[in-house]
Amino acid sequence: MASPHDTVRMGTTPHWEPEDIIGKMSLSTLLFSHDYRHIAVKGMLTSLVMLGLGGLMAMLFRTELALPDIQFFDARPYMSLMTLHGMLMVFGFIIPLVVSLMYYMMPKVLGMEGLLWARGAQWSWWLLIIAAVLLVISRPDFTWTFYPPMSLRVGGPLLWMGFVAVLLVAISEFLAGMVLLRNGLAAAKKFGWGKLPLMGWGAVSEGILLIGSTPALGLVAIFMYTDWMQWSAFYDTARGGNVMTFMFTFWFYGHPAVYLPLMPAIAVLYTLLPRFLGRPIWSYWSAVTAFSILTVLAFIVYPHHFQPAESISGILGRITQILTLLIFVPSTLHVFNWIATLWYDTIPSSAKRAVPFKFIVASVFFLMVGGVTAYVNAQIATDSDFVHNTYFVPAHFHAMFVGFMANMAMAGFYYLYPYMTGRMYGQGLANTHFWFWQIGIFVKVMMMYWLGFAYFPRWVFDYLPLQEWAMPQLVLTGAAYLIGLGFIVFVFNLMWSASRGQAATGDPWAISDDAVAAMPAPAE
Amino acid sequence: MENALGISGYTSTMFAIVFIVLGLGIAALFAALFLPARWKLKYRMEFGFVILLIGLVWYADRESTRVYKAYQAEIEMAEFIDTAEAAEPGQNFDRVIRVIAFQWGFAFLTDDDEISRNAAVTKPGEKVLFRLFANDVIHGFNIPAVGITAELEPGVERDLWIRAPQEPGKYLIQCLNYCGVGHAQMKAWLVVEGEEEA
Repeated sequence: MASPHDTVRMGTTPHWEPEDIIGKMSLSTLLFSHDYRHIAVKGMLTSLVMLGLGGLMAMLFRTELALPDIQFFDARPYMSLMTLHGMLMVFGFIIPLVVSLMYYMMPKVLGMEGLLWARGAQWSWWLLIIAAVLLVISRPDFTWTFYPPMSLRVGGPLLWMGFVAVLLVAISEFLAGMVLLRNGLAAAKKFGWGKLPLMGWGAVSEGILLIGSTPALGLVAIFMYTDWMQWSAFYDTARGGNVMTFMFTFWFYGHPAVYLPLMPAIAVLYTLLPRFLGRPIWSYWSAVTAFSILTVLAFIVYPHHFQPAESISGILGRITQILTLLIFVPSTLHVFNWIATLWYDTIPSSAKRAVPFKFIVASVFFLMVGGVTAYVNAQIATDSDFVHNTYFVPAHFHAMFVGFMANMAMAGFYYLYPYMTGRMYGQGLANTHFWFWQIGIFVKVMMMYWLGFAYFPRWVFDYLPLQEWAMPQLVLTGAAYLIGLGFIVFVFNLMWSASRGQAATGDPWAISDDAVAAMPAPAE
Repeated sequence: MENALGISGYTSTMFAIVFIVLGLGIAALFAALFLPARWKLKYRMEFGFVILLIGLVWYADRESTRVYKAYQAEIEMAEFIDTAEAAEPGQNFDRVIRVIAFQWGFAFLTDDDEISRNAAVTKPGEKVLFRLFANDVIHGFNIPAVGITAELEPGVERDLWIRAPQEPGKYLIQCLNYCGVGHAQMKAWLVVEGEEEA
C-alpha cells in the first residue's frame, strides 16, 4: 500500500499560515505584483467576476426560455447572451479560476521556492482581460464554436474584435501552459518523478494540453479574421474554402479545451482530499496512470464533436468511437481512487464540517452523473439519434463543467479563503451556498438530459409549445435561478466574512474527530 | 413509432448499463461516506474494474457498429443501384426526396420535380431516402419522431433514410446546428398522409 514517503508526497500538512493577503493588497500590487499569491488572487477574483457576468447572462436567456414563444429577447440579443455566456464561462471563469488555484497552491505543494516564471502568468492574465473586454464590446452572436461560414456572415462591424479576442485567449492560455509545465518539470527534476506530488502531475498534464492545443486555436482565430476581412478564403465554401479544415483544426483545440479546466480540478482534488482526511491518496500510481492516459486521449478523440457529418465515417468514425469510449478508463481510475481514499479509514468530523470537503464530495458525485452518459454519447448509433446537438450535449458538459469543475473550483476557493483573508467564511452562509448549488445543478442537469432525450435543439430562443419541452424548460429556469441565488449568497459571504468573519489562526483545517476528542470546530 | 435506426432495444440496453454503472458509483460513494464499516480496497479490485470497463467499451463499440452498419447498408445499396446501369435510383426505397438546407429552411424535391418549402410528404410506413445538401453554411437535419440526425457540411451530399411513422400526421423536422439568427425557425414537417395504407 502506501510507501513511507507518501505522507510527505501527498501533503497532509498545512502549507500556509492564515494571512490577510487581499486586505494588504494595494491597487498597484493587484495589477503589477509578480508575487505568485498576488497573481493567483487576482486571477481568482476576476474569474469570479466573469462567473457573475456569465451567470447573469444565463439568468437573462433562461428567463426567455422559461416559456415557449418570444417574451424578452429576439434572436440576435439572445444569441449574443448565449455566446458571451459560453465564452466568459469557459475562457474567463472556469479555466482561469482552476489555473489560478494551481498558481496559488503549486509552489508550496510542490516544495518550490515560488512560482517559476510568474511573469508569464502575469502576461497571461492581462491578455485574458483584454480579450474579455474585446468580446463584450463586439458582442458576437455566433456561439463559442463560431462555425464558418455562418460566423463569417453574421454580426456587426465590430465583430472582428471577437476573432482578435479568441487569438488573445489562445496566447494567454499558451503562456499559462508554459508556466504550469515549467513548474511541474522543475519539481520533477528536483524530487524525481516518483516523488512528484499529484499536483505536479496535474501541472505537467495541463501544461502539455495547453501548449499542444492552443496553437490550433490561434491559427483558427487568425484565419477567421483574414476570412472575415475577405483577405483570404480558408473556410468560406462560397469562395472556395473548406469547412472541414476548420472543424479539424478548431476541435484539435476544442477537445483538449474541455480538459483544460478538468486537469487542474482533478489536481486540486488530489491535493485537498489528503488535507481533509489526514491520510494519503489510496493509490499514487493509479492517479499518475490516469493523468497520463487522459492527456494522450485528449488529443486524439476530437472528431467525435462533429461525428454525424459525412466526413467522419468508416474507419475514422470507428476509431474515434473506440478512443472516446476508452476515456472511461482514466476517468474511472480517478473516481475509483477517490472513493477508495474516502473508504479506507474514518472520515474525521472536521472534514464533514468543512465546506470545501462537501464541495469535493459533490464534485465526485457530478463527475459520475456527467461521465456515465458519455457511454451513450460516444456511440455513433445513439449520437446519430438523440445525442448530437440536442440538449443531451449541454447536459453532459454542464454536469462536468458546473457539477465537477466549478464545484471543485469552489472547494479550492473556500479552502484558500482563510489563507487569503486571514478569516473564516461564515459557515451557515457557505452551507446555504452549497445546497442551493447542488440542488440547482442536479435539477438543471436532469432537465437538460430529459430535454435532450426529447430532441430539444441547442441554440434556440423560441420553441414549439410541446408538453415534453415546455415543462422541463420551466423547471430548468427555476434551477438556474437557484444557482444564481447561491452565487449571491456566496459573494455576500466572501465580502462579509473578509472583514467580520472569525479570525483564523494556526491550521484552519486541523484534523479533529469528535469521537476521539472534543476539539473546537474550526469553522463554527 | 418505428425508429429509423431500429435501436430502441439497443438504446435501452445502453441506458440500462449507464444506470447500473451510475448506481454502483453513487452507492460506493455514499457507502464510503456514511457506512460505519471501513474497507481498504485491494489494488487488484481496480484492475478487475478496468477489465470490466474495457469489456463495456468492447460491447458498446460492437453494438453501435452493428446497428449503424445495418442502417448504412441500405444507403450503400441505394448508391450501388444508382451507379448500376439503367436502374431506377434508390430502388430499395419507396421514395427518394432531395433536401436542400439553406438559411433558413428546407426545400424538398420529389422524384417528379415537385418542390415544397415546408413539407416532405410520405405514406405511412414507407422507406424514404433523403438526399441532403446544404448550400450555404453548416446545417443539421433531425426528425425526432423517427430518431435520426445528421450534420450537413456545405458542399457535401449526405444520405439518410427513415421508415415513415405508421400513424398519419405531421412530424417535426428541425435544424440542430446553429446556422445563424434564423436557426430557431428552421423547421419543416414530415407529413404522413392517411388515405392509403402502405
